[in-house]
Amino acid sequence: MKEPAEALIWTEDVTKVYNPRLPDEVRAVDRVSVTIDRGDVAVLKGPSGSGKTSLLSLIGCMSRPTSGRIFVDGRDVAKLSESLLTAIRRETFGFIFQQYNLVPDASVLENVLLPLYPVGLRPSEMKQRANRILEGLGIENRRRLKVRKLSGGEQQRVAIARALVNEPDIIVADEPTAHLDRQRSADLLRVLEDLNMQGKTIIIATHDAQVYDHVFVTRTIEMGDGRVEAERLS
Amino acid sequence: MRRLLILDYALSSLWRRRYKNFSIIAVFTLTVAVLGSILLLTHSLKMEASEILAGAPDLVVQRMSAGRHDLIPVRYIEEIEKIPGVGAVKSRCWGYYYDALTGSNFTLLGLDETATHEIHLLEGSMPKAEGQCAVGPGVARIRNVKVGDELILIDSTNTGVVFEVVGTFTEESSILTNDLVVFPKDDLVWFFGLPEGRATDITVEVFNESEVSTVAGKIKRMYPDTRPITRREIVQTYDAVFNWRSGMMLTVFLSALIAFSILAWDKATGISAEERREVGILKAIGWDTSDVLELKFWEGTVISLTSFLLGLIFAFVHVFFFGAPLLTPVLKGWSVIFPDFHFTPYIDLYQIAVIGFLTVVPYVASTVIPSWKTAVTDPEEVMRS
Repeated sequence: MKEPAEALIWTEDVTKVYNPRLPDEVRAVDRVSVTIDRGDVAVLKGPSGSGKTSLLSLIGCMSRPTSGRIFVDGRDVAKLSESLLTAIRRETFGFIFQQYNLVPDASVLENVLLPLYPVGLRPSEMKQRANRILEGLGIENRRRLKVRKLSGGEQQRVAIARALVNEPDIIVADEPTAHLDRQRSADLLRVLEDLNMQGKTIIIATHDAQVYDHVFVTRTIEMGDGRVEAERLS
Repeated sequence: MRRLLILDYALSSLWRRRYKNFSIIAVFTLTVAVLGSILLLTHSLKMEASEILAGAPDLVVQRMSAGRHDLIPVRYIEEIEKIPGVGAVKSRCWGYYYDALTGSNFTLLGLDETATHEIHLLEGSMPKAEGQCAVGPGVARIRNVKVGDELILIDSTNTGVVFEVVGTFTEESSILTNDLVVFPKDDLVWFFGLPEGRATDITVEVFNESEVSTVAGKIKRMYPDTRPITRREIVQTYDAVFNWRSGMMLTVFLSALIAFSILAWDKATGISAEERREVGILKAIGWDTSDVLELKFWEGTVISLTSFLLGLIFAFVHVFFFGAPLLTPVLKGWSVIFPDFHFTPYIDLYQIAVIGFLTVVPYVASTVIPSWKTAVTDPEEVMRS
């Protein structure tokens, strides 16, 4: 296993327990150690309840581990303060959620701009950046529409645009094809492949064979019952 | 720039939930409007009463008989005039009149020619000849009379007497003249059937204000059957009455205020699943806890300040433009002919600040605190729940 200085993301015996010491305690991630290099397209693969979404949240600094260490770009994020953790989420990660997690009554443009509000850019610069990304994803003509009026595929693209607007190094996607048909899934994978070609590191949690069998995947981490069952480099 | 952007997002967020927010603003505005109306009206009435009473006599001397107000001998004037520091001493003839026709009470006042300067606000002219009268705006309205009309009243022998209305007091004369009917003094003495040499009370002018209570004491010693009442005592009585009435109103209104507070608290603490999810999303994509709190602070501030200002404007218009038709029956008096007030706008900034403190601050706090509880939770946990 690589040392923190060499890997972009490195976890060491990470454990996440929900509702600890309660009757409904769940050990979602159990002593997991994985490494992801810069430029990787890493897939966390496994059935529902295998702990891939929980591990993705831990790697993406959206939750803290119950025990163990997580290094992102050389920093042990498990020990960082809340505000530093937020800063890492804002500057390093772009998130594509399974349910898209968009603000349904806000417009496409507003949703894409959301991560930029706390950054303090000039509004014109913010809009310029958002429009450029929407254009790249082919939905610039939808920018004034409310998100709830878009199709699932279009919403997915808005979620991708929002994930990219902060120009992050790492894109984290949780079951990105769960609500898409085969054609839309293929489109999405093409977008992710393009992003990887531009140097972004991509981490995907999925149980969709169309994703984990794709040629651009460089690292596959198989999970079951919260543990890593196998890790494979392609 | 960051702050302005968050304010901009707060405004667009409020607009997205506009139906819910408009209903909150409506309830909030109503609460402030009612509370503000009570306080503005009470304050205005007190100020108006004390301004009017500023022109009242320094001392009013009444005669008490077995603890009740009785007619006072006019001859008392001669001795009172001799007290050092005392100016003009005059007898007044007045009394309450129950008007069976309208079921209302009038105040009948007899004035001699030398006393006409005491009432300034008059349309037409003051009654000078026998059979003439001037009426207050409430009497004119309820009896539907104007200058040149006849006013029929029932005298002490139960006989109808016709008076010619030669003047009406203007609306601005407000509190003290609304139910007033003024006659030449001799007419009133005859109308009420007052015995010769008796009056309702005596007014006393005292040159030095600080000596009023001393003069009152001397009169009391001179005539133990009298009750001298100072102007300050009258003002205090008005204050007490208005304070008591506004207190009653506020007590009744308190339950509405508490209900509103519960509603606001429930709304805020019961942060909806949609709002909770939005906070989770914002945190996940890089908003700090302080950014989320600032967003919620702006949302709460915009709603509460808008409602507060609207409520104050409604209260101001209700009280000072429309004469507080919803509150005056409680606050202004027992007579059925309430004065048709156009209050002079007296505003007590302290009271405005109190209303603001009681409404805006709790609302903003009850918006920010539950959001803070959500914002400090891991975004993954918020979105998972």
